Amino acid sequence: MFLNNIYALRWKVLPPVAGVAMIGMAALALVTAPTELIEGDVQRLLYVHLPSALASYFAFTVTAVCCILFLLKRDFKWDSAAQGAAVVGLIFTLLTLITGSLWGKPIWGVYWQWDPRITTTLILFLIFSAYLIARKSSSLDSDKSARFCSIYAIIGFLDIPLIHMSVRWWRTLHPQPIIAKLNPALPDEMLLVTLFSVLAVISVAAWFITLGVETELLSQRLLKLKAIAKTNISEKS
Amino acid sequence: MSEIGFLFAGFAVFWAGMFTYLVILQVKIRNLQSQIDELENIIENHDEV
Repeated sequence: MFLNNIYALRWKVLPPVAGVAMIGMAALALVTAPTELIEGDVQRLLYVHLPSALASYFAFTVTAVCCILFLLKRDFKWDSAAQGAAVVGLIFTLLTLITGSLWGKPIWGVYWQWDPRITTTLILFLIFSAYLIARKSSSLDSDKSARFCSIYAIIGFLDIPLIHMSVRWWRTLHPQPIIAKLNPALPDEMLLVTLFSVLAVISVAAWFITLGVETELLSQRLLKLKAIAKTNISEKS
Repeated sequence: MSEIGFLFAGFAVFWAGMFTYLVILQVKIRNLQSQIDELENIIENHDEV
């Protein structure tokens, strides 16, 4: 019921909310937020990098939940929803990696480091790319493929807690958590801009997920109609 | 590239990525919808015959 309500908002509420929030986010990140003393202006990339990472976790969580619902109910609508959300997750993971690299070059001197957090994030990207390739390369209504891919996606989702804990468990160049703790290590102004950016990007991700799900549902409907048309033609001939 | 250059590049990639995906989705949804309408018409006409 809740998911249906969110899905119903995809053309009326989510676009204006996401659009206004994103414009606000750009203004706050580029104008209002104070300049960091050591890193300078390049630190402002945090306001797109962190929200992109959280949006990708959000999208992959939706994928995993939809995969579980598919396995429980065997309704292909959940398989479609999982695929739609996985594409959005991949886009935000890619944006996370690119914005991180663009921050890394002036701060670390290199675009890429085989650091635990960056590597596990790349693995997340590869896991869900493989999920989508496997799912798209088989028939949309193949129950066996949908089941195997769902189980694979649920197992792949376990990389997210690994990414989260990687900076605590291993030596890493990546900055330590600055927000996800009792006393966030950011000044109040930066913290507010960061939290606003997270909400803005997650609202865009929610909108994209609903559109992605619509695309997948339409693809399934088209497949069914093609089957009906084919049956009609063969009956006629 | 200067610090501002990296900042600009990061924001440009972010916005361009999202706009491109949005446009791809809109085009895909429109194409799928038109194919569905076309097929529904064909099936309806066939049923009438």
